[in-house]
Amino acid sequence: MMFLLKQFLALTGLTAMETMRRPLCVLLTASAVVSVALIPLVTVYQFGEKGRLARDSGLAVHFVIGLIVAAYAACSALTRELRDGTAAAALSKPVGRTLFFLAKFAGVAAIVLAFSACATVATLLAERVAERYVEFEASTLCVTDIRTGIALAGAPFLAYLLAGIVNYRSRRPFQSTAFGLMALLVGLALLSSALFDRMGRWAPFEFRVAWRIVPAGLLVTLGLLIFAALALGFSTRLNTITTLTLCGALFVTGLMSDYWFGKYAGDSVSALAAHRLVPNWQHFWVSDFLAGGGAVPAQYLARAGGYWLVCLTGILLLGVVSFRHTEVN
Amino acid sequence: MPGIGKDMNERSDHIALRTEKLVKVFRDFWRRPKARAVDGVDLEIRRGEIFGLLGPNGSGKSTTIKVLLGLLRPSSGTAEVLGFPPRAIAAKAMIGYLPEESRLYDYLTPRETLEFYGRLFDFDRRARAERIEQLLEMVGLSHAAHRCVGEFSKGMARRVGLAQALVNDPRLLILDEPTSGLDPIGRRQVKDLLLALAKRGKTILLSSHLLADVEDVCDRVAILYNGRIRAQGSISRLLERRDHVRFTVPALPPDAMKDLLARLRQAVGSEPWVDHPSRNLEQFFLEVVEQAHQAADVPSGAATTGKLADFLTENPE
Repeated sequence: MMFLLKQFLALTGLTAMETMRRPLCVLLTASAVVSVALIPLVTVYQFGEKGRLARDSGLAVHFVIGLIVAAYAACSALTRELRDGTAAAALSKPVGRTLFFLAKFAGVAAIVLAFSACATVATLLAERVAERYVEFEASTLCVTDIRTGIALAGAPFLAYLLAGIVNYRSRRPFQSTAFGLMALLVGLALLSSALFDRMGRWAPFEFRVAWRIVPAGLLVTLGLLIFAALALGFSTRLNTITTLTLCGALFVTGLMSDYWFGKYAGDSVSALAAHRLVPNWQHFWVSDFLAGGGAVPAQYLARAGGYWLVCLTGILLLGVVSFRHTEVN
Repeated sequence: MPGIGKDMNERSDHIALRTEKLVKVFRDFWRRPKARAVDGVDLEIRRGEIFGLLGPNGSGKSTTIKVLLGLLRPSSGTAEVLGFPPRAIAAKAMIGYLPEESRLYDYLTPRETLEFYGRLFDFDRRARAERIEQLLEMVGLSHAAHRCVGEFSKGMARRVGLAQALVNDPRLLILDEPTSGLDPIGRRQVKDLLLALAKRGKTILLSSHLLADVEDVCDRVAILYNGRIRAQGSISRLLERRDHVRFTVPALPPDAMKDLLARLRQAVGSEPWVDHPSRNLEQFFLEVVEQAHQAADVPSGAATTGKLADFLTENPE
């Protein structure tokens, strides 16, 4: 059992590291952080809802770029390995196919989680950066937290710069170093935001961010993990283009599931089956809950978590069955 | 009947790898037969033997190997590896496999690559680290251990591939084109390595297009064409020409030579073929490069060591 765990960790670590060292992975994560950081800095929309705009846009960027990260990681983890033959070399070792497939998913999931952590922190900070009215010396000012915004938007650039220096001095791989440093610097931006208020005055040890965004980010992450599992499942048999096409079709179908199938589910067995079987991404998009200072109810989180667990287990099981019969040529 | 069972077991103990009427048919998307890559192959490879699988492109060599590794399912027939079915984990723990192309993770360094493959086997961290160092030294890549293998030349990547195949000190080594992409020095080293491993009782199955390499190391060969075995047997038996004789003697004085030729002409009834034996080009090349190597600086590619990893020389089978 211990040996199986060691094999699982070796395969998981390899998948995560290989994906992290691919230039596109760090580039997508950097794009997500910079895009989210720029939303409150460059939008001219007013009416006192800039915070909401930053929050909703941040979650949307998280979801959309996350879909690309998940599909890319899944395809490079399995389709590319099957095509290039690295899977054949690994499967010629004493590794079971079920373990191999599940470890590949765990590696992809690790990348999705790391990406989501960066995107969620970026959304938290972007919402803080957004312009709002504050009381200052008996008057009301409209303030944008430029310092936090610059710290957040600058994190990826600084990470690239530092990774270049590290690569030059110690020959550590550039991409994975940049990825790690970016996660670290985004985290540091969050910590440093606890030291200053919106006006940039020293006011330590109080996070001035809307933590209620975290459950919303978590739900988006769960949706991305289902998408990654789908992409990995298709990758056991299909090439990249077909995998991405089918995943895209299922994503759209899942988004429209309530409208297309849900309202006919009471009258039609096939509509009911489609409504039950196609992953419904609407469960993982809850930005409306956050409007007007609201939060995601714990009950909803538990229900969505249960749905996610059932959905993910089903997809992974189908993937395992498919991969057990895949011919590794 | 117990006697027969015992005979079968003893026979099985001596056989590392066996296929019987092995067939592999590739099918298209609609499950229609597309190509019959392997067509009724019967093989029996004894333990401690170096066996060569020869054949032109598309003759079914790699497909046969993949069936033996459990990567492909046979359409019919049976295969047995070290007494186990090809998909058995227990069998795979005793196999080392070098794929046809050097299929490696581009963004890993050689050390990380060997570390990864080593972790798939059940031996402790210290032993793994020692083996990795020894293997890197053996394949001449210690100085390039920090570079990503995606940057390597084909020959250097091949060396990493060979090292990963040996990381578990396998009882059965399956090598698909082991010397392709290697320079003559690398090829010589690989051949020496194979002979040394066979001497230790390892079984080796190799497929290759490079007939001279196969001739140098293999005990027996099978020649495949269109998925069928067309010839099989020991190299000496297959290549021997029993209707001709060759003598090799030190250079003779002209009179003795003339006399000998006259006698031969009389005995054979035709003109005998006489020439001076020459060194082969591989030997000559290796001598020239060895001289250059003595005077060379730090190499940019693979550094030749010629040293076998210590763990591969311990505990003969």
